[in-house]
Amino acid sequence: MNPVADNSPLPPGRSWRHIRQEVKPLAMSRQGRRRQLAAWLKVGALAAFVVGSGWGVYAFARSWATDRAALATAVHSEPVREVVLITDGVLTRDWTVQRLALPKAASLMVLDLPALRDRLLASGQVRVAVLTRDFPDTLVVTLQERTPVARVQAADSQGVAKQLLVAKDGVVYDGINCDREMLARLPWLDGIRLVKSGNGFEPVAGMAEVSALLSTAQLQAPHLYREWLIVSLARLAGRDEIVVKAQEVPEIVFSRKRDFYKQIAQLDSVIDAAHRLETVPALLSVNLALEGQVPVRLQGTPDELAATPAPVFSIQPLPRKTKRDF
Amino acid sequence: MAAVEIGTGKIAVLVGEITRGRSLNLIGVGVAPSRGVLKGEVVDYKAACEATHHALETAEKRAGARIEEVWLAQTGAHLDAFYNEASVNVKSADNTVTALDIASVCALAKEKELPAGRSRIHEIRRPFRLDGRAVPDPEHLTGRRLEVGYWIVHGPESKISDNIHVVGGYHLEVRELVLASLASGSLLTSAEERAQGVLVIDIGKGVTDYVLYRAGHVLVTGTLPVAGDHLTNDLSIGLRVTPAQAEMLKLRHARATTLTRDKTDKVWLNGDASFGDRQLPKMAIETIASARILELLEVVRQKLGPAFVPEHCGAGVVLAGGTAKLPGIEDAAARVFGLPARGGEPPGWVKDELKDPMFSTVLGVFQFGLRAAHEHTVPRRKTGLLSNLTKIFAAS
Repeated sequence: MNPVADNSPLPPGRSWRHIRQEVKPLAMSRQGRRRQLAAWLKVGALAAFVVGSGWGVYAFARSWATDRAALATAVHSEPVREVVLITDGVLTRDWTVQRLALPKAASLMVLDLPALRDRLLASGQVRVAVLTRDFPDTLVVTLQERTPVARVQAADSQGVAKQLLVAKDGVVYDGINCDREMLARLPWLDGIRLVKSGNGFEPVAGMAEVSALLSTAQLQAPHLYREWLIVSLARLAGRDEIVVKAQEVPEIVFSRKRDFYKQIAQLDSVIDAAHRLETVPALLSVNLALEGQVPVRLQGTPDELAATPAPVFSIQPLPRKTKRDF
Repeated sequence: MAAVEIGTGKIAVLVGEITRGRSLNLIGVGVAPSRGVLKGEVVDYKAACEATHHALETAEKRAGARIEEVWLAQTGAHLDAFYNEASVNVKSADNTVTALDIASVCALAKEKELPAGRSRIHEIRRPFRLDGRAVPDPEHLTGRRLEVGYWIVHGPESKISDNIHVVGGYHLEVRELVLASLASGSLLTSAEERAQGVLVIDIGKGVTDYVLYRAGHVLVTGTLPVAGDHLTNDLSIGLRVTPAQAEMLKLRHARATTLTRDKTDKVWLNGDASFGDRQLPKMAIETIASARILELLEVVRQKLGPAFVPEHCGAGVVLAGGTAKLPGIEDAAARVFGLPARGGEPPGWVKDELKDPMFSTVLGVFQFGLRAAHEHTVPRRKTGLLSNLTKIFAAS
């Protein structure tokens, strides 16, 4: 029998409209409960909408009553009086203002922010630019700058050689306001061909690997990194090799296919082993691109080298882990 | 809106959409075999809910819309009706009838108390009489005595609640209850026929509903707990077959009037040459069926009593409901009532798939909704602020 039927005595002559239509959830079918839940959700959403609208009206009315000027300035913004720069790099507010070239007495609301952002991004040094209006009269510019990985020499439009910087993503840029000492420590890039593109150059390919090599060296073996003068990418495309010219060793060959950390460790061991010898040999070349062996070339004629006893470089291999038998 | 009929044989749902605030388009149909309903009464709440909700869900899916309110057909032997009349002396000194006179006579006529535990479903007004002459609207007319009568349909509140709660279990509100006979009658007859006088008999599976119109007004309505199921039952007992086989025999071979004269004319019980299949005399099937139909129609005539006067029923008898598909039923009705009888023809706006007589009631309920959309006369149930807010949100 119907579980919701009311057993209490009823007054005579009632209309059917007095019958209570609501049904307890237990007496509902699955579909009915689903419909009820949907109805509650609708009511909830409606209530949230009404409350939100009410709060909005209240906030507007309060602002209208207490600080009408603020509303007026929000609607009719004033000319830009201040540009605030927030950056993680070295660019300055003056450079930013010059780059933006805002029209005089331009209202904050009429500024074309996407176009202004494009102007900033036209400089390779800027990686991300975000422009926000801070009413009534302030434009806030937030920048993320590129960090240089290496230097490169190029000729400007007058044919005068100038130094450019190359970032991890291969973007070539001028390097405005960069610290000279920091720049002097960066290795030069060689074996690449800069291709003109608009006012700048096409990004250099393979810089991700170069950046990984340099950052590993800088972090794990700073004494070696300090000696590095030139990084050549001439053999990168053909043989997957990065050739570094250091003060002590004219040619160090790295393979981009092998772990850079391991290669740098091997280089450090070779140089250490050479320094431990009684007569320190002059290293001409160290090839780290081969798996399992590190060919080293020493300075001197074949006769001189034959006359002196051959130095022994011993790099103790790490004990291998035994493979589990299955 | 949706029109719902929770019948003994089937549950039918029609979904309509009110467009431009005036017209109602039929956009979805859901039909499911009925369960848990006997002679129009809910006897198994869970089973009735499952069947009804399945039909509602099907209709909603086909319509691609969410039903917000329901117009529910009401039938069953539990329903009863009586006529109550009241009269007032016209109050004004110049004997002009005012709106106050009309309101007071109507209130008096409807004031009759019902037995405890019963609820009113319909209060159908008959024409006003002013000093004995029938008038459609007595306001501003002159007379001394104003009379009016109401045909009040009522039923036990517990059984009406059961029907309403079956719909409520789907989280739907019943906007209006419509007597099944009124629904069929208004669908299958024209205003002219009702003015001439017409009797509409809707023979379903569990119950038979009837309504008698005279001079354009409802004179009598009623419901009998005898219908197609009894015919099946009689065939089952008389021919010693299972109810399912009897139902098949009824659908294939039964007639409301005996046509076969040859006693040797036989029909197969199952017709599939299976084990236990046997031949039955066709004449016996027709005899049983016609006897039951004639008996049913006689009972209707008896129930109508002195209200049925063939001379005041110029438009004859209209038959509806699933059992009205029985061949020869028009002849049987004509013989019993002494009037021409015909099968009910739904109006032109009804889709072909719904032109079966068994959809007469639900279509009639749907038409009630259509009229309400046009006239905006049906009062809404009083609902809470939350419910109204929900409706506003749903409509937006």
